[in-house]
Amino acid sequence: MDTAQKRRFIRPCTFVWLLLMLLTVTTYLIGEAGLGGIAVMLAVLGTAVVKVQMVANYFMGLRRTRWLWRGIVLGWLLLVTGLITIAYLTAIK
Amino acid sequence: MTTDTTTPDEILATPPGDLAIWFFIFAELLAFGVFFVAYAFARARHVALFNESQQQLDITSGAINTLVLITSSYFMVRAVAAIKQGLSRECARWIVAAIGLGGVFLAIKLAEFHDKFSAGISLSTNTFYMFYLSLTIFHFMHVILGMVILAAVMLKAKGGGYSAENHTGVETGASYWHMVDLLWIILFPLVYVIH
Repeated sequence: MDTAQKRRFIRPCTFVWLLLMLLTVTTYLIGEAGLGGIAVMLAVLGTAVVKVQMVANYFMGLRRTRWLWRGIVLGWLLLVTGLITIAYLTAIK
Repeated sequence: MTTDTTTPDEILATPPGDLAIWFFIFAELLAFGVFFVAYAFARARHVALFNESQQQLDITSGAINTLVLITSSYFMVRAVAAIKQGLSRECARWIVAAIGLGGVFLAIKLAEFHDKFSAGISLSTNTFYMFYLSLTIFHFMHVILGMVILAAVMLKAKGGGYSAENHTGVETGASYWHMVDLLWIILFPLVYVIH
């Protein structure tokens, strides 16, 4: 890997790192404000989905692999967060 | 050990690192996934109890620990980038920094556990705390295991055991460490924030 390739490897990850920090602070502020309800739950869980995808695709490097590997992580993520959402909605009824 | 001569633009047949660690990672995701869903459905049966108990958690500690793990994960990205250039000592330094932040995570979590245990809270206090303590202790143990793996990788890197062409071990350790971060990214909003 030469310097130009290193830059292409690191720059997107540095941007992702800063974005992850920003999204974490957003989730924290929502939590600190004590906000709740369906919309907030969907926003917070949606943020977590985006963050996990960023870690998997950029930090773990899955964006450079065949779709199968990204699909396994995305499938797991959507199944887990989908079931969490269903459980949350069940609790409201 | 395989030799890696890939560039950032190539599509890889398998994810970075040893393929075996990925089967381990998927098994861990499955285990934690079941745990997360079980928490959510247990909460659905005891909403008031979960909401009340959740308010006793220190959300600031949880958020700081998220920032700490994300940054530590990013340091491992830098460690991988360094070894891909053949910079063993720089790679080892980034890993030391990642391990150091792992230590910060453990210290903050231990302070949280100390607060809860001092208040007389235990696994048998209620269903929420049963889940909170077992989930976070389970994750805590994964952080420790990750730090042990990273320490072994760091020592090998320091001794010149990896190179620009041969660094699967660094990517393997990094992949496991990213998984520990990824799991906390779901655990934090699920247990500390959503109500």
